Amino acid sequence: MEKKLIDHLFRYHSGKMVSVLTRIFGLSNLEIIEDAVQDTFIKASVSWRTKQPDNPEAWLTQAAKNRILDIFRKLNTEKKHLPNSIHGTNAIAINELFLDTEIEDSQLRMIFTACHPKLDPRDRISFALKTVSGFSIKEIASALLTKEDSVKKRLTRARKSIQHSQLKFKIPQGTSLPQRLESVMEVLYLIFNEGFHSNRKDTLIRKELCGEAMRLCKMLLKNKHTRSPDVYALFALMCFHSARIETKTNADDELLDLKTQDRSKWHVPLITLGNTMMNKAVDTSTFSCYHYEAAIAAEHLRAPRFEDTNWDKILHWYACLHAIQPMPIHLLTMAVVCLQNKDTVTSKKYLDQIKPEDFVQRAYLYHGTLSDYYYATNNLEKAIKHIDDAINIVTNKSEKSYLQKKKSDLLFSKN
Amino acid sequence: MKEFMMIFLGADYTDLGLSPEELQNRMGKWFSWNDKMEKAGVLRGGNALTPTIRRVVGANRTVTDLTSAEVKEIVGGYYIVETADFDAVQKIAEDYPDYDLGGTVEIREIMVFDR
Repeated sequence: MEKKLIDHLFRYHSGKMVSVLTRIFGLSNLEIIEDAVQDTFIKASVSWRTKQPDNPEAWLTQAAKNRILDIFRKLNTEKKHLPNSIHGTNAIAINELFLDTEIEDSQLRMIFTACHPKLDPRDRISFALKTVSGFSIKEIASALLTKEDSVKKRLTRARKSIQHSQLKFKIPQGTSLPQRLESVMEVLYLIFNEGFHSNRKDTLIRKELCGEAMRLCKMLLKNKHTRSPDVYALFALMCFHSARIETKTNADDELLDLKTQDRSKWHVPLITLGNTMMNKAVDTSTFSCYHYEAAIAAEHLRAPRFEDTNWDKILHWYACLHAIQPMPIHLLTMAVVCLQNKDTVTSKKYLDQIKPEDFVQRAYLYHGTLSDYYYATNNLEKAIKHIDDAINIVTNKSEKSYLQKKKSDLLFSKN
Repeated sequence: MKEFMMIFLGADYTDLGLSPEELQNRMGKWFSWNDKMEKAGVLRGGNALTPTIRRVVGANRTVTDLTSAEVKEIVGGYYIVETADFDAVQKIAEDYPDYDLGGTVEIREIMVFDR
């Protein structure tokens, strides 16, 4: 009879196995370890077809233990240097590495390795998704909207940097921890954003990226050394955003903005969880950008209708955010918020501080906002000119059609 | 009723770079196929085969060891089903999960020779 496996069982176990085996054999044998783990899942997927084990999880854990011997033999025949930990007397110690708490510890070590500052920032995400989350090269490429070849290159480069810098497979301690933790949070934030803000049609992979970022963030919160107000704030932010992921697109995969989203479909349990996390996050004297971003997201969720949004508060949080992390995009957003508040004068003040070049490929956002500004100040000619500028440079299909709809509304109000 | 063998050719997972997630999803499809055949009461047996091959050829009984990479369409496994005719097995074979990986199902009737 068919028995349903836990969702993502293989993926989760893959990350666990790679981490535990790396703790035993060291980062220098990572490639051999990854191959051995991959081979385990191929064999399991074929041999389980006709007969599934009674306890698949125990089966996989045993398989991971069996791989220790395989890898040991392989390294021995290749006459490679063996780490000191691999000797008969350490059998008990090795067995202990398979306790749940130790597995989590190994996974955290892997996360810190993947997010190490010695790795190129662009390589960190790919490497984390591969080793910690068990994504294939193809899945990473599709998730990050990039070519499989560039993912391969990034992975190779990451492995080289790890060997070259002789990174230790450890959770950093003491004074280096806060900075390293920051780097981990940044990677998790980016993984989450790839999922949440990407405009790709494949909603499944979007949700998986968000889910993965949250799962890893939760791991940081479970460990008493890596748990911090900033991590709580990051997790709260992820909860708040995830609560509306289902409402971001309609049945035709068209993007919906906050104004048109069906608020009754926002996921209440995630909002509640986010609030709980936020309460833990504010137990500090200094707030991070995650605190402010979470506060902004929470403020949006608090409004029962778009018209009820408390724009003053949102503007305040953006100003705080901009103060610790000055970015053109924050100024642009503040200009947008002022327009929502019908405060065109302040809006212009923010707009005057930025140029389209500040936004590179996303300059259409700047032109779109300028168009809104001119519309609000009854300058239809300029409003239409800027919406045209925006339409000309936007590449994403659904955003283009969104802007085109806006333009036809403008033309309609002109006549 | 007659017995047939469905032989699965190609679609060896070894070098396809499938992720753990994809492997689990594929396995899920095999589960449900298996399940469907069992419910219909047609399944008589079957096995998956490992990709290691030892080939013995010719009068000299020349022995070669091969891996899946060296064989064009490796036999990955088989099922034995009991149905009325080829058409019925063909219908069953439509649910084979690995066509998209270039897999093939070959249907053969098991010979029964009554004098």
